[in-house]
Amino acid sequence: MLDISQPAISLKISNVSKRFGEFAAVEDLSFDVKVGRIFGFLGPNGAGKTTTIRMIVGITAPDEGSITLFDQRMSSGLQNRIGYLPEERGLYRKMKVVDQLRYFAALKGVSQSVADERIDKWLGRMELSEWKKKKTSDLSKGMQQKIQFIATVLHDPDLLILDEPFSGLDPINVEFMIDVLAEFKSNEKTIIFSTHLMETAERLCHDIVLINRGRKVVSGSLREIKESYGQNLIAFRGTNADAILGDASIIERVVTHSDAQELHLAEGVDPQDVLRRMVESGVIVSRFERTEPSLNDIFIEKVRGAA
Amino acid sequence: MTKFLAIVKHEYKKVVLKWSFLIGTMLLPLLAVGFAVVPALIFSIKGEPTRIAIVDPTGNITPRLRENLSTERLAERRREAARDAVTNISTDQNEQLNRTAEQFQEAFIFTEFDSTGRAAESVRSELTSMIIRGEIDAFLIIPTDIEASDARFEFRSRRAGDIVTNDSFRNALNRAVRSQRLANADISEERLAQLSGNVNFDAKGIDDRGEDKDTSGLMIASLIIGLMIYVTLAIYGQAILGAVVEEKETRIAEILFSSARPFELMMGKLVGVGMAGLTQLGIWVLTAAVLISFLAFQSDLAPLVASVPPITPLMIVYFLIFFLVGFFTYAAIFALIGSMVTSVQEGGQFAFPPIMLLLVGFYLSFAVMRDPNSSLSFWASIAPFFSPITMPVRILAEMPPFWHILLAVAVNSIAIAGLVWLTSRVYRVGMLMYGKRATLPEVLKWIRQV
Repeated sequence: MLDISQPAISLKISNVSKRFGEFAAVEDLSFDVKVGRIFGFLGPNGAGKTTTIRMIVGITAPDEGSITLFDQRMSSGLQNRIGYLPEERGLYRKMKVVDQLRYFAALKGVSQSVADERIDKWLGRMELSEWKKKKTSDLSKGMQQKIQFIATVLHDPDLLILDEPFSGLDPINVEFMIDVLAEFKSNEKTIIFSTHLMETAERLCHDIVLINRGRKVVSGSLREIKESYGQNLIAFRGTNADAILGDASIIERVVTHSDAQELHLAEGVDPQDVLRRMVESGVIVSRFERTEPSLNDIFIEKVRGAA
Repeated sequence: MTKFLAIVKHEYKKVVLKWSFLIGTMLLPLLAVGFAVVPALIFSIKGEPTRIAIVDPTGNITPRLRENLSTERLAERRREAARDAVTNISTDQNEQLNRTAEQFQEAFIFTEFDSTGRAAESVRSELTSMIIRGEIDAFLIIPTDIEASDARFEFRSRRAGDIVTNDSFRNALNRAVRSQRLANADISEERLAQLSGNVNFDAKGIDDRGEDKDTSGLMIASLIIGLMIYVTLAIYGQAILGAVVEEKETRIAEILFSSARPFELMMGKLVGVGMAGLTQLGIWVLTAAVLISFLAFQSDLAPLVASVPPITPLMIVYFLIFFLVGFFTYAAIFALIGSMVTSVQEGGQFAFPPIMLLLVGFYLSFAVMRDPNSSLSFWASIAPFFSPITMPVRILAEMPPFWHILLAVAVNSIAIAGLVWLTSRVYRVGMLMYGKRATLPEVLKWIRQV
């Protein structure tokens, strides 16, 4: 019996390496992606994200290691079950929206009647129905991005890989796309979401892997990772606290934001003690809150640490 | 296979449903029709007849001149001209203009001008003032002694710029004077006709079976076929280049490669665009057939049309085969270039070498046309890159032995297989390389890459 609380692994990357001449783009990379979850594939520019994704979607093959998708070795037959939205998106400039969508669907083995039905449905959902017969060059960048997304999901893929899907979208459209993603997500689908925008990853992803220079840096569920990093972080706002904040034996580092300060407590310091000492020394506390590190902090720390 | 068909269909529709395809398909036949029909139409428009006064002290020239310019004589000259055209198609432009000019009927109205007993000066000044008053358009003063070596025929016209009319008039006058001189030498009219008839220059090629064949229309037909293949290959090669660069530039290639194998995508493109080319060529061949049969009914050109070697359905099949051979050869080269460069402009610069190859093939076809059985013709019609143009021309000039055609197809198929292999190796890597143009060492590395 399959344990329902522990979702099945849909994509397994095992000890994958890819080199271009002397340059190792990906080095001994391993991680698992689970069904029904949104997986964040994170890393700075040039970390090897695109190279890895290209191996997952079968554009290139790894030099070493293996990639298993739905318990099968990656093959061209599996490509029809993957929807890939590349970072650098492209549409045929002079072709009508509907013709492009039909072509991309046909390339994934969808019959035209099924494709037409889904095209109408998705154009309606994206509020682009009246653009169906227009050429790409007539569309705004945001609209083109939505069309690109439709092209990615027309064949109802089991694995959806989105490389920077929100770049160039305004905040309203980002929200819109997040809603659409939420609708698409179900217990049978796997979504891999590659980005270097940590705020978005933090909102959307259940699990992440962070890679840098072709190697894995951190992986696991977002919750666990944050907990392991977030033992001694306080969001603080108050006055008359300079003396205590300057005490290096208690507070290692202070990061000042616009509306609050982030206090990194020294190792082994109990936040309760810090609060007590503040109150005793006459600090007027308007905010004192244990927080977790943002994914951004973890990202920066890990990537800087490696440099 | 369904994916491959989807790619073929997509590429075919992309070419055929463009305005440029429609315009190109229509334009060439229209141009051809234009070149064939429009000049004849323009020259058949009758101008105002030229009123001409003739001073003829001999009294013998005018009747002959009139006769030479009469309808029947003009018609006869036209028949001769048509016969000339058949045996000598390189007739210069001027001759052709003259012939067309002779289609004027009653282009001249003659007025005899009695000059007996008057001084040459006064006659000349009166005629000149008649031209000024608009009573006549031109005058001709014939000298008394037409056989004198310094005999001068004075022709003055208000329409001195009308070269066509003047030339045909001069020709008629020449013939009139010449025959009068002969008559003066006591040669009878019949004898004269006999003596001054054109020779019957019977130029025909002899084919392998020892049968006569008329080669006069061959050059035109070969030129048209050679040009048609050259133009189509150049256009469709560049279309492939453009399509490949577009997919690379817009990064569509990434989506395509995640959906189908690069080889499938590349071959689908070649086959789809190739079929579009065949469609266009098919339309042109049909139009040409219609045009030729239309011209055949125009009696003047009938002998010319009849001398075009008969184009059998087998020949058309061969032409289409060699078009495809050429298409795949050059399309593969253009696809190779397209996957190496980063923009259409850059691709345009690199399109030069294959275009040069095509041009050499086109020039070689002239040599083939002149001597289809030479060893140069043999090698030129077998060699890859040139065969697609030279072999159809050779087939038209003289059907080579079947094994030559078979050899050409075999040699070229091997060349195509090699080119397609090479291109597919470069294509699958090059299409995903952005930013800069690939260097030769890089490309060589891609080819070796597994």
